[in-house]
Amino acid sequence: MDRRRFIKDALLWSAGMALAIPRFTILPEALAAEKPQPLLSLAEGEDYHALVSRVLGSLGGMQRFVRTGDRVVVKPNIGWDRRPELGATTHPLIVKALVEQALAAGASRVLVFDRTCNEQRRCYMNSGIEKAVQEINDRRAIVEHIDTRKFIPVDIARGKSLTKWEIYKDALDCECYINVPIAKNHGLARLTLGLKNTMGVLGGNRGYLHRNLGQNLADLATVVRPKLTVIDATRILLRNGPQGGDREDVKKIDTLIASADPVAADAYATTLFALSPDAIDSTTAAYRLGLGEMDLAKIKVMRA
Amino acid sequence: MRSIFKNQAASTWRRCGQCLFFALFLFLFIKTDYSGSDELKWVVNLLFRIDPFLALATVAAGKVLIALMLPAMITLVLTFIFGRFFCGWVCPLGSLIDASRFFLREKKDRLEGRGRRIKYYLLFFLLTSSLFGLPLAGFVDPFSLLVRGLTFAVYPAFDVATNSFFTLTYQHGPVWLNAMTEPVYALLRASVLPFATKVYALSVFSLFLLLLVLLTSFFERRFFCRRICPLGALLALCSRYSRLSLSGGGPDCGKCRKCLSVCRMGAIDEERTISSSECTLCLDCLTQCPRSRIHYRGSWRIAEEKIDLSRRAVMGSLAAGVLVPLVLPTRTLARFADPLLIRPPGALGEKEFLGRCVRCGECMKVCIGNALHASWLEAGFEGMFSPRLIGRIGYCEYNCTLCGQVCPTGAIKRLPLEQKHKTVIGRAFFDKNRCLPYAEGIPCIVCEEHCPTPNKAIKFREVDVVNKKGKTVRLRQPYVIGELCIGCAICENKCPVNGRAAVMVTAEGESRHVGGMG
Repeated sequence: MDRRRFIKDALLWSAGMALAIPRFTILPEALAAEKPQPLLSLAEGEDYHALVSRVLGSLGGMQRFVRTGDRVVVKPNIGWDRRPELGATTHPLIVKALVEQALAAGASRVLVFDRTCNEQRRCYMNSGIEKAVQEINDRRAIVEHIDTRKFIPVDIARGKSLTKWEIYKDALDCECYINVPIAKNHGLARLTLGLKNTMGVLGGNRGYLHRNLGQNLADLATVVRPKLTVIDATRILLRNGPQGGDREDVKKIDTLIASADPVAADAYATTLFALSPDAIDSTTAAYRLGLGEMDLAKIKVMRA
Repeated sequence: MRSIFKNQAASTWRRCGQCLFFALFLFLFIKTDYSGSDELKWVVNLLFRIDPFLALATVAAGKVLIALMLPAMITLVLTFIFGRFFCGWVCPLGSLIDASRFFLREKKDRLEGRGRRIKYYLLFFLLTSSLFGLPLAGFVDPFSLLVRGLTFAVYPAFDVATNSFFTLTYQHGPVWLNAMTEPVYALLRASVLPFATKVYALSVFSLFLLLLVLLTSFFERRFFCRRICPLGALLALCSRYSRLSLSGGGPDCGKCRKCLSVCRMGAIDEERTISSSECTLCLDCLTQCPRSRIHYRGSWRIAEEKIDLSRRAVMGSLAAGVLVPLVLPTRTLARFADPLLIRPPGALGEKEFLGRCVRCGECMKVCIGNALHASWLEAGFEGMFSPRLIGRIGYCEYNCTLCGQVCPTGAIKRLPLEQKHKTVIGRAFFDKNRCLPYAEGIPCIVCEEHCPTPNKAIKFREVDVVNKKGKTVRLRQPYVIGELCIGCAICENKCPVNGRAAVMVTAEGESRHVGGMG
């Protein structure tokens, strides 16, 4: 084969390959007819590493969520170039402890990532999360910068407002997705909690979603479904969120919330800010879609 | 004194030197980036700081000694001792020109003539015009030309091409192929590829200028170095006095003109005298002389060589340098500066800034938010290639101070973080005709979310408005508190309105003053 022929063939071949655009279609799951009472675990304490074990303990431990060989995603909030004490990003020790627990439960790989708002490397570095995961020193624990090739368009069949969006492949293609938001103030959403944290797996122009944020987040929650939500309320940002920047706006309450029900976790966390769950549009919208419980009376809270 | 280079390997040594310095240059080029700490670890702007031409021009323009540029003295001193080794061994543009010879075979008929004097006249003009307020040195400085071309065009193009290839293999290739390509891609990303894909204003133009320099070698080897390069001219003026030089041939060599024909600078005349001002010490003549007559050795001559300059032309270029700047105050710019010209944080007052800025593109290379871009004519002709922030393309990262760290001349001051946080480079304004909560009755305030000042400069009020469907909705309308806004333009950058943003930054309120500190 001469050079000319080879180039020609290679071009034809690659053009043919480029035509085959992959599509992921996630079908809506049938809703369970009868739901058991959602459990929510609550723990307080200054030793954040131990706090994670305690809060998971009353839910049956990490083994309840992660099985041997599972590919796990731990999705913290790394959105901003802020130090941990400023309460804008998930505490690195909590991320670290969760990754360790998942590894101990037999995960074949634990991936940590977030599509940040500020420059990615600065966020990963200054939030302390990159370093914390690397300190585990286990090849299965991977903290990964966003690889734009991995965003794939996903149909959101149950979406009322959002019907299609680009989602990071690993957030869908895993056996256990653990959502680890930090509870904090947010101008538009009032608070950013679990459902809002899921925006970190989205590609595209995310600002567009703000036009109908509550419903869009609920629609998104029909496809990105965490098996476990752990809300970091060790420090909560009361004002000037979601970015903060002033320690005066941060309140240290050393609290961790965990639940398998993403709506229940958000609903309960709202009360930490002296708000009722229905103050957060996304909680209400997700509840209406049947994604979880927001009635605090119906949630079984266990203090660990 | 005996010859330092005797053997046939002299040219090889020079080539190794060129490769080494070029590799160092590329290394520093790639390291001109955030590396996980707020302070850069490498002296990435080194190349510009050893450039005596830029040092002289910026000192002339600023009328102050610039400590950052002191290393340029070393180059000058070494040139007085060793000759114009810098052009032949160190200059990365020179090495690139030499390397491009592989693709360009120059015509045999040589251009020779008085052309090589142009570089001296250009040097005189540029230095005087800098002194009198028209700083153009960075336009033709070899390093500025090279780094701009690489930063704005070559490197981003390499990045996009590589990414496209590995995206194709990743998304459409079989598993066995990815098992091979993905580790390669990871390695490339960790070593030579930029972290994020960037775009640049004037990228095609900058590449065009760089290619022009390379392509002129078609007429004559090292055309740019012989005729245009003002840095080369300055070094040539010094190397006339150099202690060491090449010599050895003479009229008694007979018909052999090997040295003449191999000389890339055309520095050897019919008498086989090697001009120490034009010779860049490539050592090809020394290596290839069939009788090994040429040696590199010391002498104690005092400028025995004259540079054949026309007095009239010298006076002309000096006069032009004095007179041309006089026209500058006649422009409308003198009364009304472009309000969209936003300078990086720490930039000196506009006049001092332009005087010191050497158009090297380092700040635009390092800018972590891809916010800084080359100006076109927004700051006047002399402001071309100077950095400006374009909010819609990138924004100034709140906790980043890299541009001030890489600036080789201090045109952008190195700011401590606390000071950077307070440095106002402009102010944001809302366009209520485009802003969603105002114009459309739709919730948004993405700008408020991203506003980085701890006490947000963008705040909102809750109002009830009737939207387009005639429904009364409660939503939040943003507004700017001028005193808190520092003009970082993240609001303009993240504004989800298509096309022009509904919130825009203008240079109003910027904290630098003419002649003052940023």
